[in-house]
Amino acid sequence: MASAARRGRPKIKPPRRHGPDVSIDQTWNDLANNIREIQNHNAPNLSFEENHRFAYNMVLHKQGAMLYNGVNQLVAENLDHLANTQVLPTFPSGSSDETVQSQEAEMLLKALRNIWDDHTSNMVRLGQILKYMDRVYAKSAEVPEIWDAGLNLFLKHIIRSPIKEHLVTAILNQIQFERDGYVVNRSAIKGCVDVFITLEDVNGLTVYKRDLEPSLLRESRAFYEAEGLKLLQSCDAPEYLRRVESRFESEDSRTHHYLSRNTAPALRQILQDYLLTPHLTTVISMESSGLDAMIDLNKTNDMARLYRLFIMVPTGLPCLKRAFKDSIRRRGDTINQASSGVEGSQTAASKTAQGVQILALALKWVQDVLDLKDLFDKIWKEALSCDRELESTLNEAFENFINLNEKSSEFISLFIDEHLRKGLKGKTDTEVDAVLDKTITVFRYITDKDVFERYYKGHLAKRLLLGRSVSDDAERGMLAKLKVECGHQFTQKLEGMFHDMKLSEDTMKAYKTHLSQTVAPKIDISVIVMTSTFWPTSQQAATCTFPLDMIQTSKSFEQFYLSQHSGRRLTWQPSLGNADVRVTFKARKHDLNVSTLALVILLLFADLGPDEFMTYEEIKQATSIVDNELQRQLQSLACAKFKILKKHPPGREVDPSDSFSFNADFSSNLQKIKISTISSKVESGEERKETKDRIDEERRHQTEACIVRIMKDRKHMTHNDLINEVTRQLATRFLPNPLNIKKRIENLIEREYLQRCDDRKSYNYLA
Amino acid sequence: MADVDMTAQADDNTNDWVRVTSDDGYSFVVRRKVANASETMRDMLDTAGNYAEAIARTCPVQQRGLIVEKLLEYMSFKAHYESAGPKDEVPVQEFMDRIPPEIVLELLLAADYQNM
Repeated sequence: MASAARRGRPKIKPPRRHGPDVSIDQTWNDLANNIREIQNHNAPNLSFEENHRFAYNMVLHKQGAMLYNGVNQLVAENLDHLANTQVLPTFPSGSSDETVQSQEAEMLLKALRNIWDDHTSNMVRLGQILKYMDRVYAKSAEVPEIWDAGLNLFLKHIIRSPIKEHLVTAILNQIQFERDGYVVNRSAIKGCVDVFITLEDVNGLTVYKRDLEPSLLRESRAFYEAEGLKLLQSCDAPEYLRRVESRFESEDSRTHHYLSRNTAPALRQILQDYLLTPHLTTVISMESSGLDAMIDLNKTNDMARLYRLFIMVPTGLPCLKRAFKDSIRRRGDTINQASSGVEGSQTAASKTAQGVQILALALKWVQDVLDLKDLFDKIWKEALSCDRELESTLNEAFENFINLNEKSSEFISLFIDEHLRKGLKGKTDTEVDAVLDKTITVFRYITDKDVFERYYKGHLAKRLLLGRSVSDDAERGMLAKLKVECGHQFTQKLEGMFHDMKLSEDTMKAYKTHLSQTVAPKIDISVIVMTSTFWPTSQQAATCTFPLDMIQTSKSFEQFYLSQHSGRRLTWQPSLGNADVRVTFKARKHDLNVSTLALVILLLFADLGPDEFMTYEEIKQATSIVDNELQRQLQSLACAKFKILKKHPPGREVDPSDSFSFNADFSSNLQKIKISTISSKVESGEERKETKDRIDEERRHQTEACIVRIMKDRKHMTHNDLINEVTRQLATRFLPNPLNIKKRIENLIEREYLQRCDDRKSYNYLA
Repeated sequence: MADVDMTAQADDNTNDWVRVTSDDGYSFVVRRKVANASETMRDMLDTAGNYAEAIARTCPVQQRGLIVEKLLEYMSFKAHYESAGPKDEVPVQEFMDRIPPEIVLELLLAADYQNM
């Protein structure tokens, strides 16, 4: 404006006067007529400018209140008119026919939507020409703008008794109709629901929330409570779950398509409360269609659905866990029973056949466990979305039933033995490796790992000594796997065995060169020197009296070995060796491969005439082999597939009263014959007891060592802490019994390693 | 007659031409976008309301041509700089200088009516 001042003094023209050219009443009359025209959809014939100016003039001349109230009244009149002409005729006729009811409900909803659309488009037009009133009058008079006033009027004149009740009933009726499986006009419902959501009462609560939602939820609750019971009676478990899931989906799509999104959680809750939570246990344990049946029939989809639904509710997961646990326990019990079933009826069967049978059972047990594990792994992966919590439940269940079978350690070791032995079943390396990998997973469940170690040592020793291992690589691979599971300490002795094998090879080479320089004894010999602490079989050796030739040979080696390593002691273990011997029968000569003990027995017969006998007692005296070993050897020579000796009287069992003769008539079309010693691969009752005693003893030592180790470190400790620490440290090998630990502590106190403190609750370490 | 130049905004809804007339017979053709700078004109031309003016696409303004021209000049100015960022310079002062003081009162009333 500063520039304007510089241009001199231009005359500012007064604006045109806006005096009331026409009277206010006249203006209002014209405007009111025009508004009625607008409500009759005649807006295109009207001038906006004219009407806008009417409203403008009225507000400008302080007649805003008259204008505002007048418009409100016109709108209200129009709404009443619409309600009477369009909504009232569509009120339900009270027919009891469902289809008619549904059609009527749809009509009513559509009518409401129509008058709503009509009303809102009118209000938009009025809002436009009355903009000046909204801007100037409504603000200063503190009344709602004309659009909001229109909504309030709609609420007051349309959403009222009885129209409101009819509308709510109609919507519920339509939803019920759809739940019953019929098709309804969703857009009609949506139209009406949208109106409900748009309209707010004075408290800011939408009509939807205030009038529709509560009754909707009430109806739903009643419906699904009944539905749950109905489905439970008419469906099996998979079908029930399918139906429930489809209910979840349909309710979800319902809220998505024509109800408020905010109702979805509430409806979901109702479904969970009435279809899932109360029926969980019933469904999962349904006879012949529950979880067990699904597992049996491999119904992955059904189980996946089961899982999806169950994890929705808080009680679902525990229920699911329980069911899986029960299922595994039952299956595990069956497997365990199958493996121990024969033991009772064993008296009839001969010992040999029984041994084979028990071995088969052991293998079958492991295989069954592996299969079961595979089955549940698959279920876990495919149906349970790799749920971590369920995984631990499954593991726990497996651990339980595997440890229920006290022979599990032995069986697993046997199973591994079976797969690592040479020339079996033509499996490829990778196949064997895969099987062993799986076995490790089962091994993981065993709590008494020291028991397993003992058996594994035994089986490994046999494989190594008899040269039956598939390959060094496979053995070492297995060792590596065990090492990963249980640490270095666990496999130390096993590795020592491999080491001995290698050292012996070198020793033999040296011995051979030594022999080539001196006079060699009559018999070729190959010796494996075993460190007694590594190998399991160095129990008081089953000694025997060697014939002269053999004594010479062994002495020769002994001299050689002791000359190289002074201060060592060699003990011969004839029960573990084997020998090749050429025997002349009537028909032809055969090369026999027999155990060293069997050779000693055979050599007795070499000096005998063709029809001479030797009694059991004579043989025993000549060889001084202990009874059970002797019986075993004789049985394998006289009662097995190849009968090198004749037993009198014939029979499958060897009795101390029997006598034997050389079977010169023996014939076979094989040149080389292997006479394998009959070995009960699975331990008999006595053997098992012995093993158990040895394990107990070993555990005592380990426990003591562990206690001393801890106390040496801590010097002073309370009883409970000590017990806990010992349990923790020993847990990788076995599960110690606190009572046993206590006994060990007492023992150590007696031996003055420890001292009981005055408070009677803790101990001191005595150096 | 004045064709008000403006940046062509490629929006079908706002890019067609509308006519603005004064009560002394002048007629101006402007882009709809410019007309929308006045709320009253926007409502007048709104197809949802669909009044006679919207069908004819003509806004009668009951003012002299001189005033209407100034209104439209401002509306073009507003439409042009509406999308200007906070850093762009808007030459408000220049525009103010172009308003002859003798019409300000009239202009003010008209602007109030046009709700711009």
